[in-house]
Amino acid sequence: MPDSQTPNSQQSALREPTAEQRRHWRLVVEGVIAKHGARPEQLLQILIEIQEELSWLPLKVVTDVAERLSISRARVEGVVGFYSFLHTRPNGRFRVLFSNNIIDRMLGSQTMMDEMCRKLWLQPGKMSEDGLVSIGPTSCTGMGDQGPALLVNGMTITKLTHQRVNLISELIRKDTPLAQWPQDLFAVDDNIQRKDILLNSALKPGDALRAALANGPDALMEEMKKSKLRGRGGAGFTTAQKWDFCRQAPVDEALGRVVVCNADEGEPGTFKDRVLLTRYADLVFEGMTLAAYAIGAKKGFLYLRGEYRYLLAPLQEVLSARRAQGLLGASILSQTGFDFDIEIHMGAGAYVCGEETALLESLEGKRGTPRIRPPFPVTHGYLGRPTSVNNVETLASACLIATQGGDAFAKIGTAQSSGTKLLSISGDCAQPGIYEFPFGATIAEVLEACGATDVQAVQMGGASGVTLAPSEFSRKMAFEDVPTAGAFMIFDSGRDMFEVASNFVHFFAHESCGFCTPCRVGTSLLTGYLDKLSNGYGSKPDLAEIDTLNRVLKSTSHCGLGQAAANPILDGLKKFRPAYEKRMLHQDFEPAFNLDAALERARQITGRDDAGAHILEEQA
Amino acid sequence: MPKLTIDGREIEVEAGTTIIQAAELLGIEIPRFCYHERLAIAGNCRMCLVEVEKMPKPVASCAMPINEGMVVKTNTPTVKNARQGVMEFLLLNHPLDCPICDQGGECDLQDQAMAYGKDHSRCDEQKRAVDKKNFGPLIETAMTRCIQCTRCVRFANEIAGAPELGALGRGEHMEITTYLNQALDSELSGNLIDLCPVGALTNKPASFTYRSWELKSTESVDAMDALGSAIRIDTRGNQVIRILPRVNDDVNEEWLSDRSRFACDGLSLQRLDKPYVRRDGKLAATTWSDALSVLAAKVKSSMTGRMAFIAGDHSDAETLVAAKDLAAAMGTTHLDCRQDGAALEAGLRASYLFNSTIAGIEHADALLIVGSNPRIEAAVFNARVRKRWLTGKLKVAVIGPKVDLTYKYEWLGDNPSILADIAAGTHPFAATLKAAANPALILGQGAVARTDGSAVLGLARKVADTTGMVKDGWNGFNVLHTAASRVGALDLGFVPGTGGKNVAEIVAAAGKGELDVLFLLGADEIDISGLGSTFVVYIGSHGDFGAHRADVVLPGAAYTEKNATFVNTEGRVQRTRLATFPPGEAKEDWKVVAAVAEALGKALPYTTLSQVRERLSAVNPVFAQIDMVAPASWGTFGQDGSVLPQPLTSTIKTFYAVDPISRSSKTMAQCQAAFGEDQCQRKTGTHG
Ligand SMILES: Cc1cc2nc3c(=O)[nH]c(=O)nc-3n(C[C@H](O)[C@H](O)[C@H](O)COP(=O)(O)O)c2cc1C
Ligand code: SF4
Ligand code: SF4
Ligand code: FES
Repeated sequence: MPDSQTPNSQQSALREPTAEQRRHWRLVVEGVIAKHGARPEQLLQILIEIQEELSWLPLKVVTDVAERLSISRARVEGVVGFYSFLHTRPNGRFRVLFSNNIIDRMLGSQTMMDEMCRKLWLQPGKMSEDGLVSIGPTSCTGMGDQGPALLVNGMTITKLTHQRVNLISELIRKDTPLAQWPQDLFAVDDNIQRKDILLNSALKPGDALRAALANGPDALMEEMKKSKLRGRGGAGFTTAQKWDFCRQAPVDEALGRVVVCNADEGEPGTFKDRVLLTRYADLVFEGMTLAAYAIGAKKGFLYLRGEYRYLLAPLQEVLSARRAQGLLGASILSQTGFDFDIEIHMGAGAYVCGEETALLESLEGKRGTPRIRPPFPVTHGYLGRPTSVNNVETLASACLIATQGGDAFAKIGTAQSSGTKLLSISGDCAQPGIYEFPFGATIAEVLEACGATDVQAVQMGGASGVTLAPSEFSRKMAFEDVPTAGAFMIFDSGRDMFEVASNFVHFFAHESCGFCTPCRVGTSLLTGYLDKLSNGYGSKPDLAEIDTLNRVLKSTSHCGLGQAAANPILDGLKKFRPAYEKRMLHQDFEPAFNLDAALERARQITGRDDAGAHILEEQA
Repeated sequence: MPKLTIDGREIEVEAGTTIIQAAELLGIEIPRFCYHERLAIAGNCRMCLVEVEKMPKPVASCAMPINEGMVVKTNTPTVKNARQGVMEFLLLNHPLDCPICDQGGECDLQDQAMAYGKDHSRCDEQKRAVDKKNFGPLIETAMTRCIQCTRCVRFANEIAGAPELGALGRGEHMEITTYLNQALDSELSGNLIDLCPVGALTNKPASFTYRSWELKSTESVDAMDALGSAIRIDTRGNQVIRILPRVNDDVNEEWLSDRSRFACDGLSLQRLDKPYVRRDGKLAATTWSDALSVLAAKVKSSMTGRMAFIAGDHSDAETLVAAKDLAAAMGTTHLDCRQDGAALEAGLRASYLFNSTIAGIEHADALLIVGSNPRIEAAVFNARVRKRWLTGKLKVAVIGPKVDLTYKYEWLGDNPSILADIAAGTHPFAATLKAAANPALILGQGAVARTDGSAVLGLARKVADTTGMVKDGWNGFNVLHTAASRVGALDLGFVPGTGGKNVAEIVAAAGKGELDVLFLLGADEIDISGLGSTFVVYIGSHGDFGAHRADVVLPGAAYTEKNATFVNTEGRVQRTRLATFPPGEAKEDWKVVAAVAEALGKALPYTTLSQVRERLSAVNPVFAQIDMVAPASWGTFGQDGSVLPQPLTSTIKTFYAVDPISRSSKTMAQCQAAFGEDQCQRKTGTHG
C-alpha cells in the first residue's frame, strides 16, 4: 500500500511540527533520498515516495529535500506545485478523487461524489476538520470501460455503485487502513473484447529478443523499416525512422542512448496501455529491449502515469523476472556488450507529461513543461542523451515484427497504416472494453462490434481527437483518414454534445502547463465562455469570439495540448451547432449584461424571491 | 554559412543563428516579450511567430534555428492574426492600469499593444488577480501585470545565480514568485526591473516618484566599485531619480549591481553643501573665502615634511593630479591612495591591473581566486565568472573566504602559504593551472592589504610566472580593485615619494603629533580616531567619518555631478558626465584643490578642465587613451619573504555600505536590515 497511516497528516500545515514529527520527517526524507542516490533528476520520484509515507509534503520537508539534493527550494516547490497529486498541505488521511472524465460522469460519478460528500459531511475539495478525508474530482483515471471510478490514496476502485460508495464511506468513517479494505474493491478488469495479432500473441519472454539477436541490429532495423510501423501514441511518426535518427545521433558512449516507454496514457477515454501493461508487460519490456538493441541504448525508462500506481508492484515483478532470465541487465542473453536495464518512473497527475518532451523534463525531475524543438529528443533527450520515446503499444508491436518479420506486419492494415490498433471503447454501447482492429476498419464496423445503437457521435482519439457525426461513420480508422491514439468514446442520441465539449475544455484548462500565452490564457478563457453559455448568458457574438479564440489557440500554442484544446468546440460548432444555440438566452443581440441575474445577490440578502424582485426580460 | 530568405530578402548567417537574430541583421523587427539576447531561449510568449515555408504552423522565430534555404515571412495575414491574437490574450489578463504604472511610457506591452492590438477587446471577461509578491526592499511587484515571460526567472537562475525565484502552479494558476515569498537574495536583483517587459517588477525606492517622460538622461560611468560600469543617470531637476545600466560588452554587458543602481538616494543625503570651519570644537558653516583663509593661516610652507595627503576611493584623476601637484609644490612626499594599506606599487602597470580584462575572463579555463569575494566586491564581474563557469569550461579554486560565489569551486584553504606551494609546483592545483590554455588568477585587496601584502603579491606573481599565466596574447594575472579611484591614482603615482610615508605611517605620525596638516580627499576609510591633534582638511561630498573629524571642510562633488576621469580595474580610462550640479556651494573637487593651492600661494598652472586633462596625459600617457585597454608589459614585482598564517579574507563585508554614498543611502540601509550586515555569509542555495 502506498500509504502508511501516519498520524502526522492530522496536523495543520500552519502548526509547528513537534520535535518527534520533525525527526520522523527527516528519517523518511533521508531514507528515500539515500535510495535514489541523492540525484536531483530523481526529484519527482523522491517527492512521490516521501508523500506516500507522510501523506503530504510539509514545506519543511521541501526545504530538507532541496538541501539534501543541493538544488534550490524554489525548484522543489515549483515541481510540487506542478503535479496535481503532490500537495504541501495536509489533505486528509484518505484522499478520494473521482474520475471526472465525461464517460464517468455519464455513468453517474457526480452524484456518487455528492453522495459520498454527504455521507462524510464535507464539501468537495475541502479536507474534513478532523483531518480524516478529502474528496474531489480528478482528470480521467483510465477506467472508462468500468466507471465510474475513483482513486483513494492513489489506489484505483472501479465500477462504483451506491453500495460501493456506502461501503467506502463506512471504511473511511471507521478510519480503516487501506490494507484492511476488502481486496475485491481494488479489482480492475481487463475487458478484452476483440483480439488480433497483438493480443493473440503467444510470444514467451525472450522470443523476440532471440530472434533479433540472431540477425543483428541492422537486420532488426531493416525489418522495422519494412513493417512501416507508425507510432501508436498519437503523432504517428514512423518508428523505424525515429530509431534510425536516434542510433545515428552522436553519443557519449559511456552514457549511451536512452529508450523511454511512454505509459502516461492521460488522454481522456484511453485505457488500452493499461491492459497491455497488465497482461502483456513482457511484450512491452521486450519491445523496449529491442529498441535498445537497435539504437544502442543502455538505459530504459517506463514512465507510468500516477493513476496506474496499482500497476507498479506487478510491473516491478516482471522486471525482476526478466533480470533473472537474463533478459535485462548486463550481457543480455549472454551477448557481451548488450547491457540494458529499465527503471520505472511514476507520474503524478499531469496530462501534459504524455507529450514526449514534457515527459523528458518530468523524467529529469522537473516541471513537465514541453521543451522547444529543435533539438529533438532523438538527438538531445533525457539528460541531453539521444532518446527514443515510444508508446506502450508501439513497443509491444515491435516484438511481432522481430519475430514475424516486417513484411508480414505490413500486410495487415492499409498501405499507410500497417498493423492493428487497440481501441479503448467506452460510453454508450453494450460491451465497452479493449478491441483490436486492423487499421482500415470503419467506424461503423467498430460500433457494430461493440453493440452501439442510436449513436449521435463518436469521439476518436480522446479529448484532443475528432468528434465524428453519423454521416462520417463510413470513414476508416487510419492515419490517412481518421487517426487515433486509441480512445473511442460513444455518445447516443440522448447525450448533450455541448456538455461533452465543455467537459473536454475544462480538462484542457486544468491540464494546461501554463508555459505559453495562448494556451495558458486561451483555455481558461474558453471555459469562461462555455460556462457563460452553459448558464444561459451566451449570445451569438460569443460563438464568433469562441471561433477566433480557437484559431489563435490552434495556430500559436507551443505544444499539442493547446493546439488540440480547441478541437472539441470547433467540431462541436460545425457538427452539433444546435446543442450550442439552444443554450443561448438571446439569439440575435448581445445584452450588455443580464439585469435580472445581477439582482440575484440583492435577492439573497433581502431574502426576497417574489415577482417584484425580478426584472422580466421584456422590462429589461 | 547557410543562406535564407526573410520577406524576400536574402541573407547569409552563421549556423545556429535563430530566425529572430537573422531578421535583426536585416533590420526586420519582430515583436517579442520573452526573448532576450542575453538569456536562454524560452519560447513561451508566442509573440514572435513567423511563417516558414513548408512548415504547417507559424513558428516561434526566437527559438527556431535557421536552415539552408529557409523561406521566412514575417508580415503575412496569418502572422498578423497570430500576433494580434497573442497580444489580445496578454492584454486580457493585464490590468491596463498604465496611468498609475511606473513602467508607463517605457512598457513593451504598451508599445506592442499600440502596434498589434485590436481596437476593441473582450474586456467584460474576468481578469486574473494575483497577489503581490515580496521581492525585497528594491523591487516593487504588481504580479497582476505579469505576463509569465520568465525573463526574471531566467536572469535570476542563470545570470545572477539566485535560484530561489521560480514558477509555481500550472496553467492559469502559474505564478512567478520567490521561495516562500522571501526577498530575492542577490546583489544583481535590480536588473530584473530592466528585464521585465511590463510593469510587474518596478523600482521600489523610486516608486511613484516619476513618469518616465519627465526624466532627463545622462550617459555616464559608475564609480560605486572599480569596474566602471556604463550607466545612464536619470534626473529630474537637480535630483537623481534613478540609475540604469547602459550596454558595454567589455565591462558590464547590460547589468548593474544593486549598490550602483540603488545607492543613488545617498547622493542627496548627508551632503556637504557649504564649507565648514571648526570653531570652539564645533564645525560651523562658513563662506569659501573664510574657510580658505582659515586654512591659509594654518598651513605654512615651512611644514614641508609635516604635511600629508590621503586620497579616497572616489577621487577622480583630475583631483588626484591637482593634489599631487600641490603636494609637490608644498614640498611633501607624504601622499598615498591606498586607504586599505594595499601593498600595490605604482610604476609597473601590469602589477596592479586586471590584465586579462573583464571580458577576457570568458576565455579563461582555470581560475585561482586569492583573498577576494568577487561576488560582493564586483558583483557584475562575478556574473561573468559564473557565465564562463556555466559553459563547463572553467575550473575555479579559492584561497580565501569560503563563501557562496554562485558557482562551484575547489576551496584550497585560506592560508597564503598555499600560494607558495602552487608557485613551487607542489600543490595539485598548480598542475590544473599549467594544463590550462588560459590560466588566470584574481588577487583581491584582501590579499595585499596586509602587513605581508608585498610578499603575497610576490608569491602571486611567481604563481603567474610558473604556471604560464603570462604569455603572448594572454595575461591572466588580475588584480581586482574595489575602489573606483585606485588604478587612476596608481597611474598618477599617488604614492609616497622619496622618504614619504604611506597611509599607516601618516596616521601613526598624526597620532604621535609628528604631522601638522592632513588633507583628506574624500578619504573616509582610514582610522579617523587616531589622528591626534593634526589639522585635518577634508575635501569631499558627504558628511561621513572624515568630515566629522575635520577642522576645515571643503564641499566637493559626487561622481554624478562632474565631468571626471576614472580608470577601472582593467586600466580602462573612462569619463563620467555631469548629470546634476553639485549641491549648494559645493564645487568639482579639482577646482577645490586648485582654490586651496591658490590660497596657499602655490597656484596650479591650469585653470580649465582641458588643461588639467593635458596635465594628466603628460603625467601618464594612458590618460590620453579613453575607453581603451592596452596590454601592460610584464616584469618583476612584490617582495620575497615569508607570509603570515593569518587567513586571507575579503576587505568588504557589507555589500550595501562601502563608501560615503552608500552609507548615506536609506535604501542601502534597508537592504542591510533585510539581508544582514555580512554578505560574505550569503547563501542562496546551490548552483548547478
Ligand atoms: C498533450 C499531449 C499528450 C500526450 N500524451 C501521450 C500519452 O499519454 N501517451 C503516448 O504514448 N503519447 C502521448 N503523446 C504523444 C507523444 O508526444 C509522442 O508523440 C509519443 O509518445 C511518441 O510515441 P509513438 O511514436 O510510439 O507514438 C502526447 C502528446 C501530447 C501533445
Ligand atoms: S500549449 Fe499548453 S500545455 Fe502546451 S506548452 Fe503551451 S501552455 Fe503548456
Ligand atoms: S515578472 Fe516580469 S519578467 Fe518576470 S515573468 Fe512576469 S512579466 Fe516576465
Ligand atoms: S519572443 Fe519568441 S516566443 Fe517569446
